[in-house]
Amino acid sequence: MISLDHIGFNHVYKSFGQTRVLNDFSFSVPTGKIICLIGPSGCGKTTILNLLAGLEQPDTGSISGTADLRISCVFQEPRLLPWKTVSENISFVLQDLTLSRRQDLIEMYLKAMGLYEYRNSYPKVLSGGMKQRLALCRAFAFPHDLLLLDEPFKSLDAPLRMELVQQVAGMWKENPRTIVFVTHDILDALLLGHFVLILSAKPTTTLDTLEINLPLGERDIAEEPFPAYYSHILALLGGRAISTAH
Amino acid sequence: MKNSSLKNRYFAPFFGLVLLLAVWQFISGFYNPVIVPSPAETWRSFFSLAVGGLLWEQGRQTMARGFAGFGLAVLAGTPLGFLIGLNQTAAGLFQPLVVVLQVIPLISWLLLAMIWIGFARVPLFVVFVTTLPLIIINTIQGIKSVDLQLLQMADVFRVGKLRIIREVYFPQVIPYLFAGLAAALGTTWRAVAMAELLSVNQGVGAGMAIARSNLETATLFAWTFFLIILGLLTDRLLSCLSRQKTNQWK
Repeated sequence: MISLDHIGFNHVYKSFGQTRVLNDFSFSVPTGKIICLIGPSGCGKTTILNLLAGLEQPDTGSISGTADLRISCVFQEPRLLPWKTVSENISFVLQDLTLSRRQDLIEMYLKAMGLYEYRNSYPKVLSGGMKQRLALCRAFAFPHDLLLLDEPFKSLDAPLRMELVQQVAGMWKENPRTIVFVTHDILDALLLGHFVLILSAKPTTTLDTLEINLPLGERDIAEEPFPAYYSHILALLGGRAISTAH
Repeated sequence: MKNSSLKNRYFAPFFGLVLLLAVWQFISGFYNPVIVPSPAETWRSFFSLAVGGLLWEQGRQTMARGFAGFGLAVLAGTPLGFLIGLNQTAAGLFQPLVVVLQVIPLISWLLLAMIWIGFARVPLFVVFVTTLPLIIINTIQGIKSVDLQLLQMADVFRVGKLRIIREVYFPQVIPYLFAGLAAALGTTWRAVAMAELLSVNQGVGAGMAIARSNLETATLFAWTFFLIILGLLTDRLLSCLSRQKTNQWK
């Protein structure tokens, strides 16, 4: 495990051409928790994940606590290899493990996500929701210290969304590792986040950070403090975030 | 709807062929058989070549030369295409060469090969140099069309470079590679016959040269049909292989 106990952005600036995406962006949160980034569409949330994953570099400023981390990711799209079966898609990212360990992990996560009977099928037979569940299996199975979730439930219907939120919570409880979860849905953030960072529109800055100490899986969105948090986040975002799922 | 598509699939080509034969028969009625032999005369020549064993004997040599040159081009062109597609320096170094190879006329290669390597190996060499750029260019196109999101995914999960080439690039390049192989096979039979005509005394091209000298136009037509059939058969075989490679997951 990594000894650093926080990950964060330190006065990060990032531009693409003339468009400044991040403007003196900073935050610091403890590792081993779920950090939700919520903000309006197009505010630069994916850029933050790309910077954490090392796919982009900051123009100035620094990112702390991610050096040498093993990073796993669920993208907005499932990004599966269509010429590989369900099992092979997971196995593709597990090549450093022994064959038996690989098989154990694949079986465990496919069973957890209800995809085990499709293990020898190709992705073409899976529905959109099943593909996204497979992407979650792949990300959880990959040995990681940091998991990045980039709006993975964006294109899913409400019941499936709810189910997957619960599954992510369940998997985190089984194996608590740092998760950075980007969403534009306030309820997803409140159900999953230990920390909720509310982001402004571009150029992105942090408007507020909420810390939620209630255990995952035991949160009742109708009970306080959630309605108050909801209103607070909605007010900060000026009604731009949406909650369609629940 | 289904019946109509069946009709289009089987009956339309059949009637097209019948129409072609009718037009050919009609035209041949106006000319001496030395200028335009009729379909029946051509068939008789074809049958006589087949029965006499010449068709197989000469055809075998042509096929051996064609497949050897084509095979060498595939072996050299596929890795070279990958190298050029994946590496900027290699692209700068080799791409102009590929363009030059592509524009050099077949006849120039033929004459140069006769001078450089002697007559016997001219057909193989000519097939190799004319099909090589087709395979390289199609492989490069396949690499350029690879889904960048899948590459980014493999990068995040720290998948090794060789496995990315084998398991992410290669399956996506296959359809382009097969398109290149199909184009190259078409070129193969044209090039090998032309090279044999000018450089050797065995093979379909050589058979055509003899038929031309003897003014046996029907035999010339028969040899041409042999090459057409060879081209169609190899093209079909390639299509089947291509479908077999991708049907499971597409």
